[in-house]
Amino acid sequence: MKRTSRHSMRRIIVSAVLLVVLVGVFVVKLVDIQVVRASALNAEAQDARSTPVKVWGARGDIVDANGTVLADSVMRYDIVVSPKQAKLAVAERKAAKSGSSQADVELTTEELVAGLTPAATELAPIIGLTPDQVIGVITSKLAENPDSDFAYVAKQVDIEAYDAVKALEIAWVYPKEHPSRTYPNGAVAGNLLGFVQADDGAPLAGLELAQDQCLAGTDGELSYLHSASDWVPIPGTEIVHKQAHDGGTLKLTIDADLQYFVQRVAEEQRRATGAKWATVTVMEAKTGRLIAVADVPTVDPNDPGATDADDRGSRTFTAPFEPGSTFKAITAASVLDAGKATPLDQIIAPYRYEPPNGADINDSAYHDDERLTLTGVLIESSNTGMSKFGERLTDRQRYEDMQKFHFGEPTEVGFPEEAPGDLHGDPDEWDNQTKYTTMFGQGMTTTAVQIASAYQTIANGGVRMPVSLVESCTTPDGKSTAKPAEGERVISEKAADETSQMLERVYAEGWLADTWNIPGYRVAAKTGTAQVADGNGGYLHGYLVSVSGFAPADDPEYVVSVSIMDPVKMNSSAASAPVFQKVMSQVLKKYRTVPSGAPAPDLPATW
Amino acid sequence: MSALPARPLTIGQTAAAPERAPERGRWLRPVPDPGRRAKPTLVYAIIAIAGVAAIVVAQLLLSIAITQGAYDIDHAQMQQTKLDRQEQQLREDLDRVQSPQYLAANAEALGMVPNANPVFLRLSDGKLSGDPVPAGTGAAASAPLVPNALIDGVPLVTEEPAGETPKQEVKPADRDEHTGAGGAAAVEKPAEPSVTDGLPTPATH
Repeated sequence: MKRTSRHSMRRIIVSAVLLVVLVGVFVVKLVDIQVVRASALNAEAQDARSTPVKVWGARGDIVDANGTVLADSVMRYDIVVSPKQAKLAVAERKAAKSGSSQADVELTTEELVAGLTPAATELAPIIGLTPDQVIGVITSKLAENPDSDFAYVAKQVDIEAYDAVKALEIAWVYPKEHPSRTYPNGAVAGNLLGFVQADDGAPLAGLELAQDQCLAGTDGELSYLHSASDWVPIPGTEIVHKQAHDGGTLKLTIDADLQYFVQRVAEEQRRATGAKWATVTVMEAKTGRLIAVADVPTVDPNDPGATDADDRGSRTFTAPFEPGSTFKAITAASVLDAGKATPLDQIIAPYRYEPPNGADINDSAYHDDERLTLTGVLIESSNTGMSKFGERLTDRQRYEDMQKFHFGEPTEVGFPEEAPGDLHGDPDEWDNQTKYTTMFGQGMTTTAVQIASAYQTIANGGVRMPVSLVESCTTPDGKSTAKPAEGERVISEKAADETSQMLERVYAEGWLADTWNIPGYRVAAKTGTAQVADGNGGYLHGYLVSVSGFAPADDPEYVVSVSIMDPVKMNSSAASAPVFQKVMSQVLKKYRTVPSGAPAPDLPATW
Repeated sequence: MSALPARPLTIGQTAAAPERAPERGRWLRPVPDPGRRAKPTLVYAIIAIAGVAAIVVAQLLLSIAITQGAYDIDHAQMQQTKLDRQEQQLREDLDRVQSPQYLAANAEALGMVPNANPVFLRLSDGKLSGDPVPAGTGAAASAPLVPNALIDGVPLVTEEPAGETPKQEVKPADRDEHTGAGGAAAVEKPAEPSVTDGLPTPATH
């Protein structure tokens, strides 16, 4: 009895031990797979079965003040061929015809070309090439690299072409999509919007570049498991690796309709006068918002290559020039603000004035000595008269006033490559001639937008509002970066009002009074015919003619500043006056500005 | 299998048990009849197996429904992508014809000219400010002044064969190719509304 039981016991124990060992091996293996190497194996499995998919983050739109879309994101398609697959397809057909296996078939170039021709003939007209060109792409790629799997035949085709290509169902042709930019209004505000690179959407100029942080979206990535045969995603298996974010909407202060009108008028005049370029700036006087900035010739962002490289930017911000006589209004305002003169102060303006420090100032046309008031100096645009008033201030005082007007530094717009202008260094470094020429806008440079901003200050009772082009950037979640603008006082209200009244007399009595007449409104304006530096210390032969003004002068709403460079067919301010008249009329008409009640106060020009 | 000694089975003897002395030699007793096996055990088994089967079947049906849903979703998504593309194409077309250059080109093709001469009528006293002169007809085409590459090649209103202006000259041969109803309507002039009691005037203060 006992011996049997011991044998049985041993058998039991042995089998139990064996069982435990076996189970232990399994447990160890399980722990190893499920716990130790779990994440690595999971990732491998995921990779093997799932598809990573790129989710495009759309670039934000650029809209104008009323919501009109100026720049839009669209999907474009690049048509790609796989030369290797194309060759294989032809080889397969030849093998099927001759009955041999595809691996044994050798193709000559003629056979390849002949085999590709039917498909190429169908494909070519859709993408705008000839069948020979399509075949040429394939054969040249194969010559370089017989295993080449990728060759572009067309880039940036739109959806119609994409649908047509897909409908052909050629196995070795496939489209790749990527987002692109389109500008529905063409060249309207093209100088401001800038443009992007066609291939990858990288911004190259203008607000597309400056506001890229607001506009750019971020691409996302997700992966999901799908069924093997028909690629249907299995529900619940989607994993978002990176969330895609769309770009924000950039709202400008520009009005697209007015911008179109101003560009049209400016371009018409530029062609009529044979000028090199022209800029027109329209600004709201009370807020400093730019409602139209035209630079002609303008780039069409849909086709930047069609314009010269020099014309693809915005000269309003980037091209400094010597402002000439339009600057006299600012000097007069400084003199009035310092209390050194009144609009009726009397001086004698000779043709040539030689001040004690050795400078030599003369007017543009010979005349006898004229008895002019400050108002008359502005009406006649007398350099000598202006010098006599300007010297009542020290150079440092005038320099500091210029700085208060924010000359010599870029405006708040922050446009790419915006020029600060040049006040010719510190006033202690000004030579004797420069001390006087800066009184009438020569010997120093400004940009067109700075001049417009200075006139805005005068129009707004001496309070300068920061120049703004971008109103806000609104992210898709609704967060906006709009900030209210704060003005700063530059000159006293009295000085600004007196300057405004003097400029009204310039408008009403100047030699262009008939050309730029806008009936029913009080307008203040000043012309300028400036010489242009040639870069070597001298001056060019042509002039830069400009007009700057604001209306209605009794309660100014809009500032318009026009500059035309080298209008060879009409080399005086008469070239820019019609532009001023048309643009100002349109602005006043568009915004239904109330016409002025009483006429302008009469200030005597002579004594 | 069991090497354990048999124990005496006492059935039904309760009160008298402690008084009886154990009978010697009478350790072994036959195993009592365990009685009839209960039929319900089979039912439990059937219920259990049926329950498991039902769970499995339900899971199968649910996963079939989910997978069918996945196919429906995929189908709907493909449709949505197609419609999105269509919408984008139409939106691009719309942007193109909405652009000011296209408008200006059409207006000029129809014979209009831009007018830069504003004349204001003050309603309170009927005073005209400005000089009302007819706009000049010699203005050059203004559309090319501000170019728009998107409208290159897009036909203008006057160049299309199925023009929308009812006064357009329409050849009967062209009309037959398009839908007859649309063609007939375009050729007829719309009936002018009759004016009785004068034109309606707004009440102004």
